[in-house]
Amino acid sequence: MKRKKLVALSLLVAVMTASLAGCGSSSSGTSSGSTSSGSASSGSSSQSSSSEASGESETTITYMTNTDFISTLEPIVEKYYEETGVKVVLEGYTTTDIQDVIEVKISSGTTDYDVLAVDVPLVSAYVNRGYLAPMDEYFTDEERAQLTDASVKSGSVDGVFYAPPMNTSSMCMYYNTALLEQAGVEIRDDVSPENRLTWDEVIDLAKQTLSVVNPDGNSGIYGIEFRQVSRVYQMNPIVNSLGGLNIGEDGFTVDGVLNSDEWIEGMAWYQNLVNEGIASRGVAADELRTMFAAGRVVFMIDTTSLDAYCGNNGMETWDVMPVPTFEGHESDVATGTGSWNFGINYASENKDAAADFIKWMSIGEGADLWYAGYNQLPTKVSLLESIQDDASAAESLKIAAYEAQNTAVSRALTPAFSEYQTIMNAAWEDVRNGEEVEATLNSAIEQINLAMEAYK
Amino acid sequence: MRGLFRKEKGLCEGRKLRIKTKWVPYAMLLPAFVLVCVFKIYPVISSFSDGFTYNGAFSLQTYKNLIADSTFWNSLWVTIKFNLICIPLQVFIAFILAMLANTTLKGIGIFRTIFYLPYAVSLTVATMIWSLMFNYNNGVLNSILKLLGVGAQGFLTDSKQALLCIIAIASWKGCGYWMMFLLAGLKNIDSGIYEAARIDGAGFFDTVFKITLPLLKKMLLFVCVANTSSNILLFAPMQLVTEGGPKGSTNVLMYEAYKSAFKYADRSRSAAIVTVLLGIIILVAAFQFLVLGNDNEDEKGKKKRRKA
Repeated sequence: MKRKKLVALSLLVAVMTASLAGCGSSSSGTSSGSTSSGSASSGSSSQSSSSEASGESETTITYMTNTDFISTLEPIVEKYYEETGVKVVLEGYTTTDIQDVIEVKISSGTTDYDVLAVDVPLVSAYVNRGYLAPMDEYFTDEERAQLTDASVKSGSVDGVFYAPPMNTSSMCMYYNTALLEQAGVEIRDDVSPENRLTWDEVIDLAKQTLSVVNPDGNSGIYGIEFRQVSRVYQMNPIVNSLGGLNIGEDGFTVDGVLNSDEWIEGMAWYQNLVNEGIASRGVAADELRTMFAAGRVVFMIDTTSLDAYCGNNGMETWDVMPVPTFEGHESDVATGTGSWNFGINYASENKDAAADFIKWMSIGEGADLWYAGYNQLPTKVSLLESIQDDASAAESLKIAAYEAQNTAVSRALTPAFSEYQTIMNAAWEDVRNGEEVEATLNSAIEQINLAMEAYK
Repeated sequence: MRGLFRKEKGLCEGRKLRIKTKWVPYAMLLPAFVLVCVFKIYPVISSFSDGFTYNGAFSLQTYKNLIADSTFWNSLWVTIKFNLICIPLQVFIAFILAMLANTTLKGIGIFRTIFYLPYAVSLTVATMIWSLMFNYNNGVLNSILKLLGVGAQGFLTDSKQALLCIIAIASWKGCGYWMMFLLAGLKNIDSGIYEAARIDGAGFFDTVFKITLPLLKKMLLFVCVANTSSNILLFAPMQLVTEGGPKGSTNVLMYEAYKSAFKYADRSRSAAIVTVLLGIIILVAAFQFLVLGNDNEDEKGKKKRRKA
């Protein structure tokens, strides 16, 4: 009797486990958490590929993209429909969710999606997992030459072109002019990409400002922030600017790279900023733009799209300059780069239509419309040149265009980028929270090495 | 005679009806049974088999890798630590709350509602609100501590405190819910027994340990088993706020399984971790069942005594 009850209990527990851990069973493809829900489907037209009254068949392609892009993309895909008769249905997910959704949906071999928004460091991993179709046949050499070399290289794996770029990105240092003025602090006026402020100078300026605007340390104003705090995109360039590498040449080696002197020095430098109260602890990356717009950050490293964010949030007392350099490392200045690319779902039944749309968006009229609407640094060479020649172009874009061509460092090129990114993001956050730098790096190396085994 | 005939006729019809309706209950249960099979049993079996699949073939490699993986062992230890504190704490607090809410006092209903209220808040919202209160820089808790001269605490950013903070969040939200079950159990206990005990001179602790707890066993068993399942599988606060950190101090197995499945696209590892979790839950639940679920023996004993 007791045994029967134990069996019944085991079954009951199994059922409860299944109901609570739905996402644990990967094959079910659902999530018990809240992260992968909330897709915002936004089509400028009908979502089905039905025939029109005229009897002509109508092609519809579905583009899984970032929610942030939807409002800018809507009029662009409308224009594309007018020009080609191909409907593009937009389905948006947040930056965090889209990677999880791709892992779940595309890995299942779904034909529901034709075009995917791919974060560029993940191209290699997605190709490795068979998610992306090659695009060599759709792009001639001349067409590829219309894009920057770096963007074509980052969208290629083993010489095969898989992911044309949507745009790229670069970093600038924004600062709050009102806070500096309130503190009576002035920045020297000869700052340029060739004559940058040093980090020591910036720390000094931040301390002087904080001593006036936040003397007791309780007003919630910070001196220096990295908008994408604890994310390798913006944190690794600290180390890169000291001469450190993101990963070994083979895309697998991390021992001896991530625990090098440059890494230890760079992380310790950042930890010191936090310990001194110049940079924040416990504030999430997504909160930092709000803080800057609210006048609670003196200096912040961010991408050029902060211009638009400030404009939309009524923040006017800001200016921008090139990212600082470490003294003695003037030639090592490094800035984050790369952004979102387009990829064709390997299982798509509309590959040709998807490729046409991607071409239009990366080197055609769509690229011009996207740049005009979203204000991110373009990868189309003609657009980049127009920024440098245009005296009225935004200062941030001019700086970004310079950085993209002179100081940009790609994120780690490895098929295990998902694992690398997750582990290193956590390492940066741990160091921010006061963990010992060298031990944190060694622990990260151990975890990454284990993760790499699956790819060798 | 006619009446008897009618009765017999009625019995025959009743039997026919029973025969006709014999399969009706099964037919009624069938849709639910199918859903349980598809959405509950199948995922368990599928998850179990995925854990033994490596590069598309049957293999123990995933489990071998897990055994050699220090992250897994750390995660297992964090899960055990979390539950060793969280489950007894929640059951104990829920029991105390149920005892308090069971008293006959004017306006006790208001307190019952207040105790239960946190459960009505979604876990995501509760986590976000608590993370704001725990915020290192400008959270209300650190503001109070600074005023008292204690100094700011790391809370969710401190590897020694983060797990305790998550236990606090889970308990704040969960205790009121488990209290309701225990309260229902307490309401089922005949007040005459307490009355008799009081007349016999039993004190408060005698009453609790010799009357309340033994008579609450079945409900306690349910609360323990259900609480174990929900806490061992809890990962929303870890995913939303700490992302398993700082220094892996909140990296429970469920979050590690989530990362494997959704971030690393490693289904086998995720399935293997979930299978380990399932094993742990079955073991813990079986242990709880053995300790608390011996009512049948008592019943058998009673029956034997009655026969004698």
